Amino acid sequence: MKQINYIDIKKDFSLLGNPNLHYFDNACQTLRPRQVIEAMTKYYEDYPACGGRSMHRLAAQVTKQCEEARQIIASFIGAKRKEEIVFTRNTTEGINLVANSLNLKAGDVVLTTDKEHNSNLIPWQMFVKKLGIIHVIVPSKPDNTFDLEAYTQLLEKHSAKLVSMAMTSNLDGVSIPADKVVKLAHQHKALMLLDGAQAVPHHSVNVGKLDVDFLAFSGHKMLGPSGIGVLYGKFHLLEELSPFLVGGDTVSSSTYTTQEFLPPPEKFEAGLQDYAGIIGLGEAVNYLNRVGLSAIEAQELELNTYLTEAISSIDGLKILGPEDPKTRSGIVSFYIPGKDHHQIALMLDESAGFLVRSGQHCVHSWFALKQIPGTVRVSFYFYNTLEEAEAFVHSLKKVVSIL
Amino acid sequence: MFCIASFIILSIIAIFNAAYRDLAREAYDCVFRRITFKPCNTGFKEKMKAKLSGQLLNRSVRAARFFNHHFELLSWIFFILTIGSIFWTGKGLFNFYMYGSCNGLNKSGFCALDPKGENNKVSQAGGSCTSGTGDESKVTLNGVNTSIFPSINIGAKDSVVLIGCYSCDYTRKAYPTIKKLITENKVNYTFAHYPVKEETLYLLPIGYCAYKQNPTAYWQLNDQLFENSKEDIAKREFVDTLLQKNGYDIEAINSCISSPEAQSAVVERRIELEKTNIYGTPLLFINNKGLVGPKPYRVYERILKGFKFW
Repeated sequence: MKQINYIDIKKDFSLLGNPNLHYFDNACQTLRPRQVIEAMTKYYEDYPACGGRSMHRLAAQVTKQCEEARQIIASFIGAKRKEEIVFTRNTTEGINLVANSLNLKAGDVVLTTDKEHNSNLIPWQMFVKKLGIIHVIVPSKPDNTFDLEAYTQLLEKHSAKLVSMAMTSNLDGVSIPADKVVKLAHQHKALMLLDGAQAVPHHSVNVGKLDVDFLAFSGHKMLGPSGIGVLYGKFHLLEELSPFLVGGDTVSSSTYTTQEFLPPPEKFEAGLQDYAGIIGLGEAVNYLNRVGLSAIEAQELELNTYLTEAISSIDGLKILGPEDPKTRSGIVSFYIPGKDHHQIALMLDESAGFLVRSGQHCVHSWFALKQIPGTVRVSFYFYNTLEEAEAFVHSLKKVVSIL
Repeated sequence: MFCIASFIILSIIAIFNAAYRDLAREAYDCVFRRITFKPCNTGFKEKMKAKLSGQLLNRSVRAARFFNHHFELLSWIFFILTIGSIFWTGKGLFNFYMYGSCNGLNKSGFCALDPKGENNKVSQAGGSCTSGTGDESKVTLNGVNTSIFPSINIGAKDSVVLIGCYSCDYTRKAYPTIKKLITENKVNYTFAHYPVKEETLYLLPIGYCAYKQNPTAYWQLNDQLFENSKEDIAKREFVDTLLQKNGYDIEAINSCISSPEAQSAVVERRIELEKTNIYGTPLLFINNKGLVGPKPYRVYERILKGFKFW
């Protein structure tokens, strides 16, 4: 396993040079290395043209760079071909694309877990109202881990058309057993859509091995620019899907009454694309490949293990999810009954520059169910250090002591 | 309460520092929600509480804990202090506008708008030109016979009585303003010379005799005594040239000032002026309202015109 070289990494992220700021909100979005910013700047400065349309040399360069990025991303997640990579704005758009392209009808069943991000909840709620689909929720175990038994029972009870679940929850960092979940879905003739926003940046995800049908993830959570995301889809499924957004560059020809759609991924990429974002995301994946996902996973585990142990002694503090940090990725989401989570987060920022997220993390439904007002969420990435985690614990204890 | 107090304070700071404008807007939103009975969900109070506690935490855990636990009480105190400050600031501004002093008419305490107290300074009798330290509330014209002093526009409805000294810096400062006041308004104007310094004591009988000899020329002489330097008017020869310029008979003036009548008139006038409880110059009475020290023109005009001023 590669070792993370912090001296080199520090040079790549300008914010890491600020000793008064400690960025622990990586589940929201990560920092961007210099290489990503430079790649995007290069596009804007050296070849700011349209890709896939014009024939001139700049346009050709844009097309080449974007297709290279597509290939890099395809390889990164183990896709068989780069045409299985559709560029979107983010995970939310990827999920919406699938939801709107599947031609769901009244009575179709969609299965999700009980702790989905709103991006994987609201689209289904809308279709329940609009189309009359059936949205079935798989409850988690009391420790917030995935209940495979309940899932199996529900699959057997309902003839699901689609299972749509977050691989790793942004709420508590807990992952579902994706391989088993996908296998069971397929056994029950259901398609499988995975929300990989919190998984793809943190550990190896191989769509080929998983045999997942769709995987959506975001660039901004994996060193890439904001406004660019990816939807992976098995090529034959993408071919079958109706395009969601249509228009410019999605068709090969059109008359006043008919149109000939391009093959995937073009038919899903309507309008002028975020070329700088695509190129930036390609560079971000290159960077992740250099650091190594196994090294990233190990670093996050070390930090999570330390933090979990260090803050568990704080009176009344409760961590969401299982006690074992191995099951919680780089996320430690905690609350102290009776203490305001926003106040804790703000005071951590104000007193020591620790930037953490507080609130319900776009999983309002789960918080409403559990009647918990919100949590403070610490989310690590590979550039965070043990020294920072130690300083965080010290500051947190100070903050809690005055509340 | 915290929102209201913060809104007031932040609005004032935001005028001078753009960095606080967003916070002021947030505070405004919070206040607006409160006064329109909408749920106050802006989180402004909580945000400020956390920010301030966080800052305090770096200095003293104890202070931060105290602040955090007693935030509501401290908010109330902050609110009351803010309202109190606004009231006193408003009162100060009102007083400054109305009387030229933040503390009110003839009150010489510290005023931020007149930090040196220029509008209340007087030259004390027998002393140098310094801030007056008399009882400002006791100055009065009651029982004072002003008819024995030089006057113009006798019988006019409004009256202005200036008791001043030719060598007093503050009377000299106030004089152009008072001159403007009596020129622009038809008033019964009386001037009484009250020397606070020895070098202009000799002008008392000269003034008496000059007014007696030629009342019209007296007012020109009076202007010139204020317009020329203190050093010049302290010299008899210089004053003689002024008398000559204004057509006075120097010999007759000399004869008058050495007469027992003039000596007695000087004493009589001094006794009369003491009845005003004067403790320094300039002392101005506008329609019997006493004003100590040189005030801005608006103060004089407002008192003279009363409601018509507005």
